[in-house]
Amino acid sequence: MSRKTNPFILVDSDKCTGCGLCEMACSMLHHGILSPHRARLRVLRFDNGRRNVPVVCQACEDAPCIKTCPMNARRRSEHQAVVTDEERCIGCRACVYICPFGAPVVNPDNGKTLTCDLCADDDTHPWCVQACRDCGALKVVACEEAVVRKSRQRAEQAKTAYQPKKGPVA
Amino acid sequence: MNVLIIGNGIAGNEVAFFLRRARRDCRVTILSAERFPEYDPCSLPYFIGRDVPRDSVFRKRWQDYHAHQIQLVLDHPATAIDPEAREVTTADGMKFGYDRLVLAHGGSLFIPPIDGIDKEGVHSCKQLAAADRLDQSSGSAAVVIGSGAIGIEAAEALKKRGYAVTVIELLDWIMPALFDPETAQRLKLRLEGCGIRVRTSEKVLRLEGAQRVCAVVTDKRRIPCDTVVIATGVVPGKALAQTAGIDVQRGIRVDAHLQTNAAGIFACGDCVETVDACTGEDAMFQLKHNAIEQARVVAHNLIAEPATYAGAWAFARAHFFDTHAVTFGKTTRATQCELGQLEIIERDEGEDYLRIILKEGRVVGGQAIGRFGDFIGLFIGAMWRKDDIPGIRENWSLIARSGSPHPWTYRKLGELIGLKS
Repeated sequence: MSRKTNPFILVDSDKCTGCGLCEMACSMLHHGILSPHRARLRVLRFDNGRRNVPVVCQACEDAPCIKTCPMNARRRSEHQAVVTDEERCIGCRACVYICPFGAPVVNPDNGKTLTCDLCADDDTHPWCVQACRDCGALKVVACEEAVVRKSRQRAEQAKTAYQPKKGPVA
Repeated sequence: MNVLIIGNGIAGNEVAFFLRRARRDCRVTILSAERFPEYDPCSLPYFIGRDVPRDSVFRKRWQDYHAHQIQLVLDHPATAIDPEAREVTTADGMKFGYDRLVLAHGGSLFIPPIDGIDKEGVHSCKQLAAADRLDQSSGSAAVVIGSGAIGIEAAEALKKRGYAVTVIELLDWIMPALFDPETAQRLKLRLEGCGIRVRTSEKVLRLEGAQRVCAVVTDKRRIPCDTVVIATGVVPGKALAQTAGIDVQRGIRVDAHLQTNAAGIFACGDCVETVDACTGEDAMFQLKHNAIEQARVVAHNLIAEPATYAGAWAFARAHFFDTHAVTFGKTTRATQCELGQLEIIERDEGEDYLRIILKEGRVVGGQAIGRFGDFIGLFIGAMWRKDDIPGIRENWSLIARSGSPHPWTYRKLGELIGLKS
């Protein structure tokens, strides 16, 4: 059965150089300043920048943050992103805790959480994806089942092949 | 098909609206003991504390019921079920027939048998009507009996409203079902730092006052006050089911399809006893996310798309003023009577605290305060997958190597449990 998937930002961390342009672009669009702390995605940097992982809301199909938010502030937007309603959010961080990736970011200005809204109000593509076009570590996949299936397969493989119990992997 | 739902809470509404979205041709009726559209009990303390307006507590508006052709019968608590005749009787004697019945009436506040507990000025905040009364009352000194999540949230709310607040806990540490003593002690200090007095290992003996409460007397002291909030937990509503011959234990017993032993009767939400999704043990986690997931399973089964329930999961947050804490899975106390080698991973760095409980090398629970909470989701994932933590330690040099093919989550997890690259 073919199943429509929500659009989300697909990350290929192998291509990420850790430059942080995505964070800059995101904070610029949403807050009008260059401030990685206010970006709705963040780049985790390991090994002095030799390994970089952009972490961004994947707009899960059955998003646990929507179910656990005590104020019902987490909701699916008309563009299928999962966003925080700032009117309702009390900054309790339930969405941060339950997220399998720790994707929601706490806004340092008001303690409320921020997640990717796919730049829905802007005509251009998500700004982070635009900013990353040279590296190509970020891209929007929308209802592209094949892409999602492949990425899920990879995740499944990672889950079994890299279960540490099975010993070292080459 | 005529579907009758008892309870207008989160579980009941999730069943009703899910059902309606899937099927236009069935009758859906909700019997409510209250007189409001669906609201979220989790939101109530924040409305009392004036963090959000009262409107924010509602999950549905009146017109939602109308638009979805769901009949809502207010102020009609169900008092009896006749499974043979397929009929439910309400308090005023009205009878409602059904083809399928869903028990989603939740639980009720546990009222401890304390002398004087019926005095004026004694409140609770589990239901909206009670929260409204607390919101509209005025006073200057409040005692919260019970230090569960609701008790702590109520204490914070009253503190914000200008009350002098004392929290009393019978057991030796606050939030005993959620946190280990080491974590709870830190949270207690934080609460006290916010000006909330916390008394643990203390038993309330009676409430004093002529008509209105004027003091709480414990086995250690007398605390003058004008407001008391009862937050001693929630007991599942099982009497209704029990008298109808439905199997109950701690809560209503259900099978994997959330069906009771009576034909055509399902149950979901705070009133059911289910299993822990990770361990398969009998469990009662009366939490919102579990109610929602159970309700969806019930709705699927009602429309003959058999679904099984994977089980409930324990996850809660504690948040007051600028303190942020989280807990998941089991506490050390909950694992104590089990076989298996326990290991506690602790990290204590200033304001931030992490405590992960391993049994036989697998994550079974954890707690965090502050910064360590940001990635607690990685540990919840590790608990689900039953990741082998000693294996991660053994292979750490490979996982931490540049160009390692291991998912970054293992890398981050290793860092969090204190492995150095």
